[in-house]
Amino acid sequence: MSTECIEVCELTKSFRGRKVVDGLSFVLEKGQVFGLLGHNGAGKSTTIEMLLGLKKPDNGRAVILGREAAKHRKEIFEKVGVQLQASNYQAAIRVDEVCREHAALYRHPQDYHALLEKFGLEKLEKSQVVKLSGGERQKLSVVLALIGNPEIVFLDELTTGLDVAARREVWRTLKGLKESGLTVFLTTHYMEEAENLCDRIMLIRNGKKVTEGTVAEVVKASPYDNLEEAYLWYMGEEVEL
Amino acid sequence: MKRFFKVYGIEQKLFFRSADVFVFNLCMPVAVLIFIAMIAGSKAAGNSGMTYLQSAFASLVAVGICCSAFMSIPIVIVDYRDKKILKHFYCSPCSPGWILGADTICSAVMAVLSALLVWAVSVLCFGYRMQGNALAFIGAWLLTLVSMFSIGLMIASLCRTVKVMNAVTSAVYFPMLFLSGATIPYELFPKGLQRVADILPLTQGIKLMKAASMGIRPGVAGYSIILLLGITVICGMISVKTFRWE
Repeated sequence: MSTECIEVCELTKSFRGRKVVDGLSFVLEKGQVFGLLGHNGAGKSTTIEMLLGLKKPDNGRAVILGREAAKHRKEIFEKVGVQLQASNYQAAIRVDEVCREHAALYRHPQDYHALLEKFGLEKLEKSQVVKLSGGERQKLSVVLALIGNPEIVFLDELTTGLDVAARREVWRTLKGLKESGLTVFLTTHYMEEAENLCDRIMLIRNGKKVTEGTVAEVVKASPYDNLEEAYLWYMGEEVEL
Repeated sequence: MKRFFKVYGIEQKLFFRSADVFVFNLCMPVAVLIFIAMIAGSKAAGNSGMTYLQSAFASLVAVGICCSAFMSIPIVIVDYRDKKILKHFYCSPCSPGWILGADTICSAVMAVLSALLVWAVSVLCFGYRMQGNALAFIGAWLLTLVSMFSIGLMIASLCRTVKVMNAVTSAVYFPMLFLSGATIPYELFPKGLQRVADILPLTQGIKLMKAASMGIRPGVAGYSIILLLGITVICGMISVKTFRWE
């Protein structure tokens, strides 16, 4: 049996004549944590949106669990959990309500109480979502991505805008998920996040692949000995301190 | 189906929690009713053969429909699109159709509650009795509801931002509210203004409801019904065709 969860082939997308994603190809295997790294506007979110069938690629194709998401939405999203960048919730909705509403969307949802407890949110069940802190809200969005008992989760810039402590806490929970064998596709521009969590990373710049491999491989192929310096080198933006 | 009703139940709860909905859909029509009934309840409204209370009853039930159609529906849908809640529903085994359907039902429920409240206050506090056929009245009410909802859904589909949507709903809602007889009795308008008002679908809906509540056969019922059905079909089609969940 093939262990490939996601297969992307020559994915290309332009907006108003500008190529945002340019011939991207990669493969993500079951149980891996894969990190897509790049600057703001490098095409990370657009890549995720094409994978999920939210945007139609101009060229190439993306297959999740053997199928194209846009054509098999119902089956795919029973097995794929998604956290979208900067998601918001209904005004005045409470944590337990947003959980119950999401659970109702899936045929075999997990018990959301257990998930809230796992993420340390059980005391906030009756709080309004708008009153949560940034870190709590991001953890809630992971809970919601997991509620349908997925095989793969997509996390788009999960920790952007969080303070150091909150970010580390989110990482800790993600490490737990990784150990449970979940396949994770994440985008980030924190190198520390990639070093801590990712089995494989891919660096993109202006929609094009710059390099790909394990963190160690990527660092080794550069003249530097840490990912942050190596990243800047790959991006052609070495800055002297 | 059970899962859909779970989503609906939560959305309905959120509706009840919203202060706007409480004030505009439920309190405002009743407040205006009390106001009119206390000032001029039993006086004849123009030469319509109706008292002010009888005229206001049908009109204020229509105001309840309009609050749902032009405030609740487009505001909720455009807001959910803005907040990417519809996008989130797209990334689930269910479609954004679920949440749109749930919220349309919520809005209809608010219109029903608003009508029941107006009816209860009219009957209990001001001795209102419907002279006409209650079933005919409910029919006219339903027709007005679906036609106004189709306009509201069309606005929600066409407007991309909250700002545009606010401008459009105000431009559609307020002239209709003032000219249709929902606030100022239509019977008091000069002939010329009545003719302008007649073009508005809400005017026709209110005319049908008034006629049904009084038990008279309106001369132009056929015209009103065809107009409202036509609007429902056309606006309904436009709203489906132009709908964007993002």
